Amino acid sequence: MSTASAAGPLLSVQDLGVTFGTADGPVRAVDGVSFDLTEGRTLGIVGESGSGKSVTAKALMNLLPSYAEVEGSITFGGRDLRALAAARERHFWGVELTMVFQDPMTSLNPVKRIGEQIAECLRVHLGRSRKVATAEALDLLERVGIPEPRKRLRQYPHELSGGLRQRVVIAMALACGPRLLIADEPTTALDVTVQKHILDLLDDLRRERAMSMILITHDLGVVKGRADDVMVMYGGRTMESAETPTLFGRMHHPYTRALLETIPRIDAPAHTRLVPIPGRPPSPAEVGRSCPFAARCRHRIDDCLDGVPPLVPVPVGAAGAEGAEDASHHSACIVSVGSDGRGDS
Amino acid sequence: MADMPAPGERTPDQRDSHLHVQDLGSEVSVRGSYEALLGGQVFDDSKGSRLGVFFWLAVGWMGLVVVAAVTAPWLPLADPDQTGFGGRLDAPSGDAWFGTDGNGRDVFSRTVWGARISLVVGFVAIAMGMVFGGALGIIAGYFRGVVDRLISFVMFAMLAFPGLVLALLFIATLGSSLTIVSVTLGLLAIAPVGRLARAATLLYAEREFVQASRLLGASHGRIIVRELLPNVLIPMSGLALLGMALTVVAEGGLAFLGLSVSDGFSWGKLIVTGAAPRTLREGPWVAMFPIGAMFLTVLALNYAGDRLRWFMDVRELAFER
Amino acid sequence: MVGFVVRRVAALVAVLLAVTGLAFGAMNVLGDPLFNVVGFIASVDCDAVAAGEVDDISGQTAGGRGDCEVIAEARREHHLDRALPIRYGYWLGDIVRGDLGTSFKNEMPVREVIGEKLPKSVLLMVVAQVIAVGLAVPWAVAAAYRAHRPFDRASTVGTFGLVAIPSFALGVILFYLFVVRWQIFSSRYDDTDLWSRLRSMVLPGLTLGLPAAAVYMRLLRTDLLTTLQEDFVLMARAKGMSDQWVMFRHVLRPSLFSLVTVFGLSTAGMIGGSLVVEQIFSIPGLGRALVEAVIRDDFPIVLGGVVVVATGFVVVNFAVDLLYTLIDPRVRADG
Repeated sequence: MSTASAAGPLLSVQDLGVTFGTADGPVRAVDGVSFDLTEGRTLGIVGESGSGKSVTAKALMNLLPSYAEVEGSITFGGRDLRALAAARERHFWGVELTMVFQDPMTSLNPVKRIGEQIAECLRVHLGRSRKVATAEALDLLERVGIPEPRKRLRQYPHELSGGLRQRVVIAMALACGPRLLIADEPTTALDVTVQKHILDLLDDLRRERAMSMILITHDLGVVKGRADDVMVMYGGRTMESAETPTLFGRMHHPYTRALLETIPRIDAPAHTRLVPIPGRPPSPAEVGRSCPFAARCRHRIDDCLDGVPPLVPVPVGAAGAEGAEDASHHSACIVSVGSDGRGDS
Repeated sequence: MADMPAPGERTPDQRDSHLHVQDLGSEVSVRGSYEALLGGQVFDDSKGSRLGVFFWLAVGWMGLVVVAAVTAPWLPLADPDQTGFGGRLDAPSGDAWFGTDGNGRDVFSRTVWGARISLVVGFVAIAMGMVFGGALGIIAGYFRGVVDRLISFVMFAMLAFPGLVLALLFIATLGSSLTIVSVTLGLLAIAPVGRLARAATLLYAEREFVQASRLLGASHGRIIVRELLPNVLIPMSGLALLGMALTVVAEGGLAFLGLSVSDGFSWGKLIVTGAAPRTLREGPWVAMFPIGAMFLTVLALNYAGDRLRWFMDVRELAFER
Repeated sequence: MVGFVVRRVAALVAVLLAVTGLAFGAMNVLGDPLFNVVGFIASVDCDAVAAGEVDDISGQTAGGRGDCEVIAEARREHHLDRALPIRYGYWLGDIVRGDLGTSFKNEMPVREVIGEKLPKSVLLMVVAQVIAVGLAVPWAVAAAYRAHRPFDRASTVGTFGLVAIPSFALGVILFYLFVVRWQIFSSRYDDTDLWSRLRSMVLPGLTLGLPAAAVYMRLLRTDLLTTLQEDFVLMARAKGMSDQWVMFRHVLRPSLFSLVTVFGLSTAGMIGGSLVVEQIFSIPGLGRALVEAVIRDDFPIVLGGVVVVATGFVVVNFAVDLLYTLIDPRVRADG
């Protein structure tokens, strides 16, 4: 549909920074985040609330409020997204890249029929007639697995359950055939039983349409097996990034490990204790002087408080054993933590 | 960590509140009447916990008007009824600050004196509204059931009855003495105040402190006086100011129908006198100065009332479900 | 839905009974209907005449009958010899049969009087509400679009001032500027054709409409700002919809609740205001007729007017309830 350059990543984010001007002074919500996303791949962005993952997504989507100051460059299919935003070329979003939000209860307009909401993008951006757009909306509803799609077209959001609504939201996002779908905690607000269905649906649709996806979640378990790459964020910064198998195989950053330990595992022996991360994430106002995770880290050394650790390639194999580095595996921790979880430096 | 509550994110309860549509109608109507009475809230985006400079400016103006009205007989003013104080329709000057009217009377002096009637009518009327409307509203909201339905219906009927027509009926037949005019406008204030008091009572009657004193065996009277009254009526003091503004205006409206207070003159009556086409053409000041005085006073009452209402957080009680 | 309509109609009837009962009671208790029917001879003390204490000044009225005969006949005709509730019942019976009675003063059927005056008052209401809504919606959208910016702040101050101007004061000011000073409009009501009628309604419409516009604008602005915080607005923007599209197609409709409610309630206020405005701009509408009738104790006209006004109020609020269901499908569920 689009004339994208074959070479290079679909999306390239360089040194993204977002600062909110508030009554209490500027707050840095995202700081120096960079990543590339190749066409057809899925990137998982993992982090707790306040880690800056949603702000990053909104920066990509040009959805930040006017008092947010954005730095860095965002290139999508060879085009500068920030320049497009400045030129008010709003139609680029919705067609080329789009987003699904956390809460399907609130992300549908309560006073518009479902069919109308799905067809909106087709009618406004692609200039489809009402009849054609409605037919396409019907196909989309069928595709996202909604029973009795014809009836649903004329229903209002409040007549549907949460799971169905999230399917509608997905259909709505996919209507114009975007090349990138950003899913921000798409299942957090849903029943546990529905969560897996939605994630599987997203996965199928992505494969089927050769679409790229950014899957934002607080749950490392969601990312495993679904994302090709993982980026772990904390306090507005990237803590660790790698291809998914690498990350789960050779976890480097103490925060990533801590995140993993909070997930219940089906294969763990019964009565295994989940280990919570002590403390709270730093508020964005506190960011900037030290490793953001230092206050809650079990492996903290004095150097951690002395400047923000840079994101550097992680050496392959045991720490310091060989000189080789994995070009795709980066971590922002100056402490080398062994696989047993104890710091050895 | 999945259930880690994050500041700023919605809890399931808040999410659910989007769906409480069955309450939507009643909430809207409460809110609607509230806003209709008050003319909508202003400066809803104000931050901080102080009343602000403009509030005190408004209070200052109201104080000035009240003091001037009360002390008018002792102030060094021309006799407001003295015809020939100046020439006919003299323009404002150092001698007659607001000019003179068609009979050569001093408009400044008349404006100050006019405040007396306007303020008395406004004060008496809103006091009546607060006392009777407040009492009816609290009783309806506290006892619910048949009492509530009866009182609510009467209030709705009173609201459906065009207020000015009722006032006309009373005043045209009973005469337009100061008492009749004040009491009539007071009657009109009962229904809107009562509806709000009822809505507020409904809210507070379910609160813990009321339930607690009920469990402790407090009598209805005691609960109403000790627990509900302070929580319902005192925050409505802001409302009293707004209501007073409405009444001052209503009295002016009556003046235009020739039914203003017969013994003396109010701002409304002054404006009517000045609004005769010929007077308006030759001496617009006769109408414009009393209009200005009334405008500033209504503005001050509105602003102070709005601020006070915001300060007392009555909004909460009107919008909460 | 049927239950809904039945309940509303029942409420309408109940309100009409209460309102007319109130008016009927007030008029009969406060004034003397007999005086209006037979004129000054109503003051003749017929008990005294019957007792022979006073002479009946016969032959002074048409037909040469005695005053007391005339009085007795008038009493019978107007049921004045019955108790007040029964009289109300008679009146009500006439109303149900479509007979609003005739004016005491000029013997005109009340229905004709209302038929002649009401359209002018309705036109005034319509013009005023069109001005109010027509101004308030774009104004609120513009203010909410750039909330807390200079335009928004200036609007807030402006609406505050506008609400504080009493309608008659605004009328006088407009009259002074446009009629006396610049002579753009005539001071008289011109009834020749629709165009001249509309032209005559501009100033009165503004007088009633501007303060209402300020109220509507503030309500709508607040609700727009609340709706703008909703996730579905973000979603619409994520779908690449322009700001204008989002504002008018997504945000406006769910934000209309308070506006619509107050629209209904403000009708009552406007009817009150129109009494005064019709006076200022000499519009021969129902409001003026009502005022005159009250002052002259012309009961049938007053009662007829009250019936019309109260019905209008209830019907408008009924329409508002129906509008809710159009605005928000969620309300339909519990209708």
